[in-house]
Amino acid sequence: MKTFTLPDLGEGLAEAEIVAWQVGEGDKVVLDQPLLSVETAKAIVDVPAPFAGKVVKLYARVGDIVPLGGALVDIDDGAPDDTGTVVGDSHVAATPAKDKPSANVAPAGKPAPVAVRAAPAVRALASRLGVELATLAGSGPDGAITSADVEAAARHGAPAAPEAQALRGPRRAMAQNMAISHAEVVPVLLVDDADIHAWPKGEDATWRLMRAMVAACRAVPALNAWFDGKALARRVFEHVDIGIALDTEEALFVPVIRHAERLDRARCRAELNALKDRVRARSLAPAQLKGHTITLSNFGMFAGRYASPVVMPPTVAIVGAGRARLEPVAVGDAIGLHRRLPISITFDHRACTGAEAARFLAALLADLELAE
Amino acid sequence: MKTAAQFSVSYHQFLNAKGALAEPPPGLDLPALVPVYRTMAFTRAFDARAVALQRTGQLRTFPSSLGEEAATVGLASVMRPDDVLLPTYRETGAFLWRGVTPVEIFLYWAGDERGSAIAGPRGDFPISVPIASHCGHATGVAAAFQYRKEARVAVCVLGDGATSKGDFYEAVNLAGVWRLPAVFVVINNRWAISVPAARQTACATFAQKAIAGGVPGVQADGNDAVAVRHVVGQALERARSGEGPTVVELLSYRLTDHTTADDARRYRSADEVSAAWAEEPLVRLRALLAREGLWTKADEEALIADNQARLEAAVADYLATPPQPLTSMVDYLYAELPAELVAQRAELAAREGGHHG
Repeated sequence: MKTFTLPDLGEGLAEAEIVAWQVGEGDKVVLDQPLLSVETAKAIVDVPAPFAGKVVKLYARVGDIVPLGGALVDIDDGAPDDTGTVVGDSHVAATPAKDKPSANVAPAGKPAPVAVRAAPAVRALASRLGVELATLAGSGPDGAITSADVEAAARHGAPAAPEAQALRGPRRAMAQNMAISHAEVVPVLLVDDADIHAWPKGEDATWRLMRAMVAACRAVPALNAWFDGKALARRVFEHVDIGIALDTEEALFVPVIRHAERLDRARCRAELNALKDRVRARSLAPAQLKGHTITLSNFGMFAGRYASPVVMPPTVAIVGAGRARLEPVAVGDAIGLHRRLPISITFDHRACTGAEAARFLAALLADLELAE
Repeated sequence: MKTAAQFSVSYHQFLNAKGALAEPPPGLDLPALVPVYRTMAFTRAFDARAVALQRTGQLRTFPSSLGEEAATVGLASVMRPDDVLLPTYRETGAFLWRGVTPVEIFLYWAGDERGSAIAGPRGDFPISVPIASHCGHATGVAAAFQYRKEARVAVCVLGDGATSKGDFYEAVNLAGVWRLPAVFVVINNRWAISVPAARQTACATFAQKAIAGGVPGVQADGNDAVAVRHVVGQALERARSGEGPTVVELLSYRLTDHTTADDARRYRSADEVSAAWAEEPLVRLRALLAREGLWTKADEEALIADNQARLEAAVADYLATPPQPLTSMVDYLYAELPAELVAQRAELAAREGGHHG
């Protein structure tokens, strides 16, 4: 019996998602017969059988994310049991310098480690979680301590929690993107209200917000830009491609309305509706989710007054609109009830000055407050 | 107005995609094509095996040459043993023809230095992965041959994308002005990773890039082994007889991903690829040989079995090769080690001794 583990199918990839199994438990396979398809960050790849035999056990289901070195399948090749045989380490991986953390395959028969063997990332994790590495028995190659070992130790004694579920698809992308934004951007938030009392009944708020953003970008192009924090360089755009944050059950999508400055009310609404349909049908092309120059989050459709919307690099600004409400306002010497739309703008202070953002906000409010 | 200079680029095809041989080149040696076909078929089997090894974690990133076998084997088959090949990374067919062993090629793609320390042909250059970096080396090798008055030729093989690098123009320019015995073979497989040839250059051909260096440029159907042997053979003859370099463009098609770390479905259509399969090089050459009575069904079956057996043996040898010593890091770059590396090498050797001891 041999266990086949996930090899590095690209160049330095850490994990892969199981897309399909071409074999089932009990099947006989021949050398190089397709076993399964996996999706990595780079490609969908067919993985063939490394040797002939009978499939005894599949370790992962379709949709599972398997870490590099994680077990995929047991194949009985008829040879006497050799629990130490793990196919999936490349020829060079046998050199002592190469110790891949293996998440769920514990090689048997290895001598106990004399010193703590753990990768720097695992050591950092242990220090963060307050786990003493010397007290752990590693489950990785040559007794190396893995992240999973550290996490298991940290959980020990803690109240029982539901098992962790790996994030997938758009939710996984969201987590990664938010972390990038948090690590890179220097966000500053500005809030105010637009008095939209003059709007005709049934006015299309999203269209008005987009039009106002175009006007504000015209007034202060610095917020309609991409910023490269490594090169300390920015690209300021003339055209306005607005990324619209659209919520779905699964996660957030940000499809892009191109050249918002050229759209009239009807075409803008038509494009918005088309994008929403495509988001729902999950038929958006990757190109439609890329390349916006500024973002709009109309979260007030659900609830909420102000927020601190997150700027996603390389863009430098995002406009958030809260829930419109009737509010008492001073009208001359009297108090009147006006509809007001709360506006929150986050900008990246690496790329824009506070004054630029304030002038942008002023231009945005001025356009929003027009009757039509 | 009068015309100051005029240029043209000839195109050569003898064996078309249907296997028809229209007016063969003078002196065509048909039996000589049999070993060419055999090596092309072995190259294809080797590529498939190497990809499977990579997919199962037993080989590192590998660039298959699927569809380019006539170009690589064909060009090598007209070189003399003491000519020097300066390859990039997709010329497995040329390596195999020139006597590099399958085990050595596997070792190279496992990151093992011994894969470049080939037993033969010792004069050939190792694989040059950085694009076009070996063009200047080819000019240097050719200059050495000229200086030593040796009737040898430097054969530099590069891709379509490499012709956009300054290195290529510099090498062609110098080779042209010094009339060096060099042949630059551009295998145009239409895709530089994800950049199609049409986005690579405004030129109608890659061969015409030779003109800037005062060098003739010719183009041939790179999937036609007869045409490849004819045009590369003529270029080698020119170089050997002191008439200077040639740029040869071989039109082929990369039928697979750029490497195992690529997914070509993301940037080109399935229709384009299936159309290119109709032009692939093995079927047409086999059709010609069969028609001429030089190849039978039994020959084909024996070849397939023989190739599989050779590959199985090579894979077993490769997988059984012990890991390279740490000193490999410094052992192959210098004829004589500089003093500071002598000390480092001793340290590496001691560390390894300690680890295994």
